Amino acid sequence: MRRTAPITILTLTCLLLISMACAVALGPTGISLESLFSSENTWKIVWDIRLPRVIAAALVGCALAVAGTAMQGLFRNPMADPYIIGTSSGGALGATIAIVLFAGTGRPVLAFIGAMAATFIVYFIARSGSKIPVETLLLSGVALSTLLSALLSFLMYTAGRSLHQIMFWLMGGFWNVSWNDVFVALPILLGCVGIYLFARDVNILSLSEEDATHLGVNVERLKQILLALSAFVAGIAVAVAGSIGFVGLITPHVMRLIVGPDHRFLFPAAALAGAILLIWSDTLTRTFTNDMPVGIITACFGAPFFIYLLRSRMKT
Amino acid sequence: MKPIEIIDIDVSYGAKKILEAITFHADTGEILGIIGPNGSGKTTLLKAMSRVVARDSGEIRLDNRDLDTLGYRELARQVAVVPQDISIGFDYAVRDVVMMGRHPYIGRLASETLRDVEICDRAMHLANVAHLAGMSIHSISGGERQRVLIARALAQEPKILLLDEATSNLDVSHQVDILNIIKELAGKITVVSVFHDLNLAAYYCDRLLLLKDRRVYATGTPEEVLTYENIREIFQMEALVRPHPLTGKPYILPVYAHQSRVGTNRRVHVVCGGGTGSDILHLLYAASFTVTCGVLNVLDTDYGTAMRLGLSCIAEPPFHGITPGSLSDLRKCLDSADAIIVTAMPIGRGNLDNLQVLLDYPKKPILLYSGNSNSRMEDYTGGEADAVLTELESRGALRIEGGEELLAGLPQGYSDQR
Repeated sequence: MRRTAPITILTLTCLLLISMACAVALGPTGISLESLFSSENTWKIVWDIRLPRVIAAALVGCALAVAGTAMQGLFRNPMADPYIIGTSSGGALGATIAIVLFAGTGRPVLAFIGAMAATFIVYFIARSGSKIPVETLLLSGVALSTLLSALLSFLMYTAGRSLHQIMFWLMGGFWNVSWNDVFVALPILLGCVGIYLFARDVNILSLSEEDATHLGVNVERLKQILLALSAFVAGIAVAVAGSIGFVGLITPHVMRLIVGPDHRFLFPAAALAGAILLIWSDTLTRTFTNDMPVGIITACFGAPFFIYLLRSRMKT
Repeated sequence: MKPIEIIDIDVSYGAKKILEAITFHADTGEILGIIGPNGSGKTTLLKAMSRVVARDSGEIRLDNRDLDTLGYRELARQVAVVPQDISIGFDYAVRDVVMMGRHPYIGRLASETLRDVEICDRAMHLANVAHLAGMSIHSISGGERQRVLIARALAQEPKILLLDEATSNLDVSHQVDILNIIKELAGKITVVSVFHDLNLAAYYCDRLLLLKDRRVYATGTPEEVLTYENIREIFQMEALVRPHPLTGKPYILPVYAHQSRVGTNRRVHVVCGGGTGSDILHLLYAASFTVTCGVLNVLDTDYGTAMRLGLSCIAEPPFHGITPGSLSDLRKCLDSADAIIVTAMPIGRGNLDNLQVLLDYPKKPILLYSGNSNSRMEDYTGGEADAVLTELESRGALRIEGGEELLAGLPQGYSDQR
């Protein structure tokens, strides 16, 4: 444990609260403190539009970062992200089916079902006997994602007028997010707490599976739990906001550099940082870029930063 | 009640049998070494004992409890494993890695207590890594990392410590460091360790288990297991087995027979005694010479060596001089020999004839071999033996030191020069 880790987490908590306040205050419509109480319209903008959107962004960011951290620990590979086990392609297919066949009704539900179903299929493809070798898991994730993407492309090809809607959804964003979506997203916190309970086990798993067994970790059970909980939180995130890239990949990375590899600190730090990152990305897009999909923003900042990290890793 | 008992276990990977009908036990506080050639199943046996590998049949009992009835955490409190070397993906501090050893004691909702910290501190102290506690596991050397893994295993407070060639990747000083630590721990903990290095196994283990072709080939003390016959049988290698000059434990010296065919179709007679000929008998045997020796007393070490190697040897019963019958046998051997070797043996009245008879063979190449220490013959005949030697030398007998020179000085039956 690095001595700075608790301080970092405290700082991040403060930053999150400040970020939420700022994000509520910022937007295309200028808002002053007194107008908040004098104008009913302003109150409506803050309470019904901005606040649920900020909270949803925070929850989704938290979900992606925690699931990403868990997957990187499980696969012992810093390149893993929450979508590696088919979550995003499954979710995308589910959402697209809802848009194409049911004119968008039940989209979040189908997206969540799609994400969970994809993860289960990947799990059962990779399982041999009582074991799931992580390499096989990784490869079956890639294979299934490719297949689902093909189905998705087919649906988009036949989509006609709803193509635009699908495209927007695929890039991910927080339009039309209401309090309803916030309630849908709340179980994310439960899932994250669940994952956090296995922080010490994930630490040990990052040695090697055999070594973890020697230290009293039931490795196969741990894999099942981590996969299920990660798919659960990432599936909700996908259902609420589409597949937003790079948050789940970059955040664990950066936080590992700052707080160290101990998952008891890494999980909360990543959760807070993921929330902050997505709040600001979303604020940026709705304030300055006319509500462009937030996935574009995260990718624009995330990818170059990732390359920078990769290069600096190679130097050391 | 044995700390660990293995009863008739079979292990296979898929259709491939790895271990068959393995039965043994470890006694409380001993160091039990598992040895055997590559592919004999040593590591798999250890993995079966730590339940990383499932077995097909048979039983493993820890303190008379079936291994399979223990939960993961319970097992980790009883049995700790020090692996060969591990790559640690993320950059943990040494103290964090040692604290992982406490994992089976700390509940899911709890965090480590002061007692856990104390146990880790003591473990690090025992494994001599306390000064590294704050350092990154990536920034320390291989030997230090191995000691950290020992500290982690000790933090588990196990009854049984399993080591899988825990020192194989280290240089010899670190190997000895680490095994000394293990030796001090034994007594309180029962240690079962796979060894690659037979000499380290011979010194550090109380008992050895020798595996061959998936089965137990021999068990017993190092002296009982590391015999010349067993080593030749198991490793298909000529080796000298000698007591280590300081510890008295068996020490294995391979006969580096890279000229293994030079002696093909060549006969050599060795005049030796008092153990001075044993090493070269092995060497000549390994180099494919047809070797005869004698005349020797049946109580002589060299006679024992010749018998073990299956060499033909002219011998007399104890406390006898050389009889005319033996002497004529000796002459027959000398007649057919391509060369004669005389070692720096002790010479008395009883075996002086062995030397004197050589004066009748002026045409034969004679090599006076004095070993690597260049020892002189011990003459108990009042100068007669020395006189014979001087005469032989004046006729062209060569003084030779060391085994390699000896082989070079002998007539070559087969040349494998490339």
